[in-house]
Parts: sequence; structure tokens; C-alpha cells
Amino acid sequence: MSILYDEGQQAIATESRRVLEARMNKDELLPLLETTGKFHDGFWTTAKEQGWTALALPEAYGGLDLGLVELGLIAHQAGRSLSGAPFLTGSFGAAKAIELYGSDEQKAKYLPGLASGETIGAIAFAAGSNALPVLPSVTLTDNCLDGTSTGVAGGLAADIAVVYANGPGMPVLVVADLANVTRSAIDSFDNSRLYADLTFAGTPADTLVIGGTAREAALHILALQAVITAHEQTGGAEAMMEIARDYAVTRRAFGQVIGAFQSIKHRIAELYGFVELARANCIHAASREGQADFVTAAAAARISATEAYDTASRDCVQIHGGIGVTWELGLHLHTRRARSLAIEQGNLLFWEDILVDRLTGEAA
Amino acid sequence: MSDLEAYRAKAAAWLESMVPTFGKEARKGLSVEEDLAVARQYQRAKFDAGYAGINWPVDYGGQGLGHLEKVTFDSEEMKHGFPSFYFGISLGMPIPVLMQFGSDKDFVKTRVLKALKGEEIWCQLFSEPSGGSDLAGLRTKAEADGNGWKINGQKVWTSWAQYSDYGVIVVRTDPNVPKHKGLTYFWVDMKAPGVTVRPIKLVGGDSHVNEVFFDDVKITDDHRMSPVGGGFAVAIATLMIERYVATDSGGFGPHLDLFVDLAKNTELNGKPAIEDGRIRQQIARNYAMRSGLQSITARAMALMQAGMTPGPEGSLNKLVAVRSRQKLSELAIDLQGSGGFAYDDHASQKEDWTASWINAPTGRIAGGSDETLLNTIAEKILGLPQDHRPDKGVAFNQIPA
Repeated sequence: MSILYDEGQQAIATESRRVLEARMNKDELLPLLETTGKFHDGFWTTAKEQGWTALALPEAYGGLDLGLVELGLIAHQAGRSLSGAPFLTGSFGAAKAIELYGSDEQKAKYLPGLASGETIGAIAFAAGSNALPVLPSVTLTDNCLDGTSTGVAGGLAADIAVVYANGPGMPVLVVADLANVTRSAIDSFDNSRLYADLTFAGTPADTLVIGGTAREAALHILALQAVITAHEQTGGAEAMMEIARDYAVTRRAFGQVIGAFQSIKHRIAELYGFVELARANCIHAASREGQADFVTAAAAARISATEAYDTASRDCVQIHGGIGVTWELGLHLHTRRARSLAIEQGNLLFWEDILVDRLTGEAA
Repeated sequence: MSDLEAYRAKAAAWLESMVPTFGKEARKGLSVEEDLAVARQYQRAKFDAGYAGINWPVDYGGQGLGHLEKVTFDSEEMKHGFPSFYFGISLGMPIPVLMQFGSDKDFVKTRVLKALKGEEIWCQLFSEPSGGSDLAGLRTKAEADGNGWKINGQKVWTSWAQYSDYGVIVVRTDPNVPKHKGLTYFWVDMKAPGVTVRPIKLVGGDSHVNEVFFDDVKITDDHRMSPVGGGFAVAIATLMIERYVATDSGGFGPHLDLFVDLAKNTELNGKPAIEDGRIRQQIARNYAMRSGLQSITARAMALMQAGMTPGPEGSLNKLVAVRSRQKLSELAIDLQGSGGFAYDDHASQKEDWTASWINAPTGRIAGGSDETLLNTIAEKILGLPQDHRPDKGVAFNQIPA
């Protein structure tokens, strides 16, 4: 996979940006914060209409057979415009798990719905602070799940979830129908991501991977989803940098625009560094899908994208001064998203450990 | 295999064959003068093998190849610690500028060939005690003197001036106009009467930079490489010659693998330091930073190969890499605790954490300070306003000193 975007890819970036800028605005996003359990319908409809849900899935199951690079471009734009909704929270990861590890029968059962967006997927690996626990909090017995998966992104809307569970003396990766699962909504600082704890009680589940390779498979899925999240983070960071720049060249104090003060201008120049490093790592990671160093590249992308988005949102608010902390201006939408994305799909600490494990040749 | 990959393979094989004669091990213990003599032989070997002036015109003894071949060779060469640095400035800026702006073509051709073969070295006389970041603030002056000019003043931070045969120099020829407009660009013979070179010993113990004094140094007008008063444009052209060079995501310090090894082999609280979260975090973040820079460079190369122009993000390299090298070197010394005091001033800053640490501040200043680079990014890339410049439009001799 080339690290240069070709014409088709550039068109995806341009078109998705145009569509999202036309359809998304903060006045629709702000009310979502005060409502638990609602995502942005407009974005979800757009994602389905534009075929984004099908983008990186196989043609045989209704997909468009494109890859992580193309999906990353859309995730980047979605991050810029704060377009949450399930397509980015886990549907992609769930679909990839089924595509990579499922039987033909399982693929035929789930993938067409995930590709069209009729089915919403989630990935449920975490137990508390642990993104990929050694001892999962969910147990599989006689093909039925019991226990609680915590903080599942998109969990309130998902129809199915790929779950990392404790099988009969060995880890398993399974897919479960969520129709009869108890969902407990998490009243979050970033409500449009639909975070929920999912409690399984004798929930039937289809096994994807069983045994020693299940953990490696789960990590691979997490890495795929994390690369998409990293693109979203980079898009958000880029937006915050640009908003800060635009404000700094218009807002005046002491007789000149504040961007002329080095305390402001150097801060924004530093953000450029964070954003470009994150972008470079994201493009690199997306291009390494399927290669031996993919997880390493994904971890690097997550680390630099998390640093970029947190730093950019923090500094952008600071540069705005008082107006920056108002509900009305909406910068906090990015502040919230920066933090929620930082802990979705494995936090910074998790990816730092994964990366060092890889560098030192230790198994994850 | 693409042509470029074939070129890389061939260059790598040739470089490998040079290691026994010119590699770090072979040169251990040599004085600077001895090392320079070996370096001249290495430069000559490069010339003979067709690896000098890779992207320069064949007319001037170059190879007539592209910038990509040049960067490809450089990135392979970087791996071995060959003594190419003595010629870095000479062949990097003064000589290309001479080719572009020198008026006497025969003279130019002779100088270029000798420089390519390592027989002559050129330096670049830009910075002054009163004008470093503010290049146009320089005070060394040239006054009309018969058929030529007479130079008086002082330059500083001139790399390899003590070994240089010639230099390019920017001087003030008219103090009555705004500062950018009164400068003229010349070349000078570094052995001419009135030129005094005084090496400056740097914190790391080495003396590759110098103060250079000009006392009534007389040059003829054929030394002039710009219109009178048009020197600033040529100076900027000099600095812009090679925007993309083979870079080092470690900030010219040790490879991250060396830090990982140190952390594996050092005990912290009775356990290998590599198990300590603080150490792991620094390794992970450094890796992410370095891999980002490498990806930026790889993309730039791919863009150039496709005939496109790379983006401005290449300007981040030195800014980001050297700062982080400084911090990582501090941590590496910390890790060694009471074993961290030792200092070998002959150790390589690419392999030794203490040598890296003590030389890192030089890296954060040379070639554009962090602050200058941040200004450049802010102004040129992000469109933020220029700093307040009270000297703008004011005649040079009216600017408060």
C-alpha cells in the first residue's frame, strides 16, 4: 500500500469533507450532550448514504473492497466535524473481526447488514481499566455469555458485539446478538458516543476464535479500530489547531492581533508539530495493514494522535480565553471528544505498553 | 527492483567496502588534523566512485543525477559514521552558490572540482556577534577601495573556517538604507592578509566553529557574487538550496534501540528498568515521535520521486527531534544513577548518551534555533503575523544598536 494518496483517495477526502461540513453543525451536537442514548442521526444517515459503512468490507458481502487508508480519510474528516455515531465507534472493528476470523456462514450472516449499516456493531473487550484483560470479565459456557463488558463504545445502539471472553480454560473471541442484553447507559461527558455497560446473562454467542490465538486476534481487531480512532483524533486535532489559528489572527489585544505574541504563535506552531506527526503515523499505520509491524504502527499512531488531540484542544481553549470555556462556543465538544477518544479502544497507557512490548520482543 | 532501489543497493555495497579504511573504528584515536587528512582521502574515493556531486551538473564534475539519488546515498552513508562532515558545509552551500552565482566560469570550475575531490574546503561567513537569527543585522562592512573592496569586521560560528581555503561572505556595503538592502555577497580567500581565524571551543570539547576577523582585507570586484546591495537574496538562496536532506529522526543522537538496551540492562528498584512505567512511557513516546518523522520523510521522498513537491512538514524534523534527544539523553544519564557521571569527550554523540546530552544544546541552536523554527512554522505555514519589527524600513545606521 502506497503512502501517497492517489486521485481516488483524494476525492474521498474532499467529498467526505464537503458532505460533512454541509451537514454537521455544533447546534445539533450540543443538545446531544444533554441527552443520554442518542447519536447524531444525520451523520449516521450520511454514513449509510455515502457508502462509508461498506467502504472497507469485501465486495462479496456488499462492501466496496477498499481499505483502512480510505476509511481513515473519512474518519479524519469525521473527527474534524465531531461526527460521532456508531459507524466509527466499533462497527468497523466488529465487521473486520467477522471478516478475518469468521466462517463463511458467519460472514454471510453478519457482514451484509454491517456493510449496509442496517446492523450496528460494537467491540466489547474491556474490563474496567483494562482494554484487553488477561482475565476477561465475561465468561463463555456452553456457547452462552455471562458477565459484564464495561464502557462499550456505541453499546447503546449496537445490534451485535464482538466480545473477548473467558472460554473453557482458554480465551475466546465471539460474536453475540445484543437483542436481549441488559444495557446500562453511561451518562458520559461525551454522550453521543453511546457508551454502555453490556450485561450478558445466558446470551447465545457464535465463536470466532478459540484458544491461544484469541488474544492476538482481539489485539489485532483493537489495533484496526484504533487506527480509525487515531485518524478521528488527528482530524479533531487539526480542527482545533485551525480554530486556534483563525482566532489568533482576528482577536486583538494591546493594539495587535494576539497571534503576533510569541506566547500564542509558538503554541500554535507547536500544535502543527503534534498534528503532522500524528497524521504521518496514521497514514503509515493504515498502509501497514496486514504486515508484521501493523500493531506497532497502530500503537505509534494512537500515541501521537492522543497527544495531538488532547494538546490541541487544551491549547485552543486556552488561546480563546474566557470565551473558550462557554457552552455556546462549543470548543468543549472537541475537549470532550479528545478525552473520550483517548480512552476508547485502549488508553494511552495500554498502547504505550503494547508498543514497548513489541520493541523489546515480548509478546503482548 | 526500481532504479532507485538498485542505486541504493549499489551505494550501500560500495559504502560497506569503505568501512575498513574510513569507518569509525579505523579512525579511532586520530587527532582532528589526522582525521581530516583521512577524510580528504575518503572524499577523493567518493569522487572517483561517482558519489561526489551526485545531483550536480556533469560540466562541473558532478554526476548529473537527481536529488533523490543524492538523499538516498546520504541516508546510506549516514549509517557508517564516515568523516564526511568536514565537507558538509563546503559542498552543501558555498559551492552550489558559487556554481549558480560565480561570474568567472573557469575559476568556478577549478574550485568546484577541487572541493569535490576534498582538496579544498569552503566555509560560509554569515553569522556575527550582532546578527545570528537576524541575518540582515550584520555589521561587517565592505567599503569601495580603488578597483575593489576593503572588508572590516567579525564573523562567528563559522564551521571549519580553520581548515577552509575560501569562504562566501555577506557584508554591509551601504549603512544608509534599510538593513536588507545594504548587503552584498562576495567570496574571499581565507588565506588573504588580514583574515584571522580563531577556533571556539564548544561545550562538548570540540572546536569545529570559529571566530573570523577581517582587518582591511582587500578583494577585487570580481569576488562579488551579487549586485551591490543585492546580497540578501543570494544569502537566502544559499539557505534554501537543500530543503530536503537525509535526516535523522533521533536528532543526531543515539538510536532508540540503545536506550531500550540500557533500560533492559539497568536495575531500578531491583527490577530491570524496562519494566518501569516511567521508562516505558518515554520509550513509547519517543518511538511514536521518531516514527512520525520517518513517515514524513518517507512521504516526502515518495512525492519527489513522483515528481511532486513535498509539503512543509519536513521543517519539523530538527525542531522536534533535537529537543526530544536532549530529554532522552538526560533520562539515560538519570537511569545510570551514580554510574552516570563519567564523560568521554571523544565518544560519539550518536552512541553515547552523555556526549549526546552535552552537545544537544548546540543542536537546538545551530541551523536555526527552536524559536526561529517556531516562528518560521507559524508565519510561513500557518499564516500568523510576523514578530514586531521596529527596524523595518529604517536605515541601518538609524537602528538603535
